[in-house]
Amino acid sequence: MKALLRCALVAAALSLATQPAAALAAHTTSVRDEGSLHFLSDEATLIVDEGSLSGTLPGSGRVYFTYNGSPNVTARFTIHAAGGNVYGAAKCRLNNPNNPTPSFRGALTIVGGSGRYAHARGSGELFGVFHRRGYGLVVQAIGKLSY
Amino acid sequence: MNVRQHLAAATALCALAAPAGASATQLTSISAGFSPLRLGSPTALSLGFDVRTPDGSLPSSLTGISFHYPADLGIGTSGLGLATCAPAKLSFDGPQACPANSIMGRGSALAKFQVSPEVSEENAEIALVAGPPQHGYLKLLISATGAYPVQARIVMSTLLLPGQLQISVPLVPGLPEGPDVAVVRVQATIGGNLTYYERSHGKRVAYRPQGILLPKRCPPGGFHFRADFSFLDGSHSEAQAVVKCPR
Repeated sequence: MKALLRCALVAAALSLATQPAAALAAHTTSVRDEGSLHFLSDEATLIVDEGSLSGTLPGSGRVYFTYNGSPNVTARFTIHAAGGNVYGAAKCRLNNPNNPTPSFRGALTIVGGSGRYAHARGSGELFGVFHRRGYGLVVQAIGKLSY
Repeated sequence: MNVRQHLAAATALCALAAPAGASATQLTSISAGFSPLRLGSPTALSLGFDVRTPDGSLPSSLTGISFHYPADLGIGTSGLGLATCAPAKLSFDGPQACPANSIMGRGSALAKFQVSPEVSEENAEIALVAGPPQHGYLKLLISATGAYPVQARIVMSTLLLPGQLQISVPLVPGLPEGPDVAVVRVQATIGGNLTYYERSHGKRVAYRPQGILLPKRCPPGGFHFRADFSFLDGSHSEAQAVVKCPR
């Protein structure tokens, strides 16, 4: 059954990938995904976290979170959902930088994807908490997704 | 951190004194170093400066420093400054009265003042303490506490802007009718041997904060530091230092 479903998703993804752009933007859905992500690696001001996500697009996610001391933080993210990936980016404002777990919030933009989300577009808000001690992130994305 | 790592960081330093113009009457030099100097690893950042005059006389009082450091150093991600200390508390009671998790570093300073006709010296302990954030930026409070011959404490503050520290240095009166006290040497380390505390399973557990994250790649020519100094006599001076890339 799972194999059938997987085949169906792949077929759907391939089918979507061959359609004109106007036809592809047929689905618009409200998305609300959230998850607790664990630290994966760092590059000085860049923290890479990943973990499982629950919500409208359940799966896993990876976030590239940049914090260089400015309250203006950025996050690039990938949601690995069933049938494809969704790529996005967010520009957020981090509050209470001295707090062990400062929160951040800002506008997110869906910039593309793969598989059934190959032509994904969308926008919304990203909310999060940054654990300054262990570099974990708790994130919640809320928005509209067209694909 | 072992002696070899200290030495590695120290020998990587390269300081250059460069008066900004012909009118400069103060000569300045800065030092910078990471300990350990290991790309991609947490480290402690040491910064220092010296002020002197060509003829060895008492320098003019320092009124401001603008320190420029590589913006891609992970100071925001250092895990330092997980609590704040009120400037008034730091000023009146000293850094020991501040939360342990607000201490971001330590250091020392040397000041000189005129006791005619002699020049007297005073050592001071430096504490780098996280203050209440401003406009979303981490604020660094710098306290300098001297015990002898004059018991005094001054507190300066600066925002930890990416790649820049802008410090206004208050004038400290010397003896009546004499010139103000001149700060001639400061050495301070952000990070290093600090003890923080966290709650774990209902208990207060001590830990050592990670420290500043160094990039995995060294910038071309090394890590560049620059400082612009302003003095009471109106002169300015600039100094640079480079921490060379590890081999």
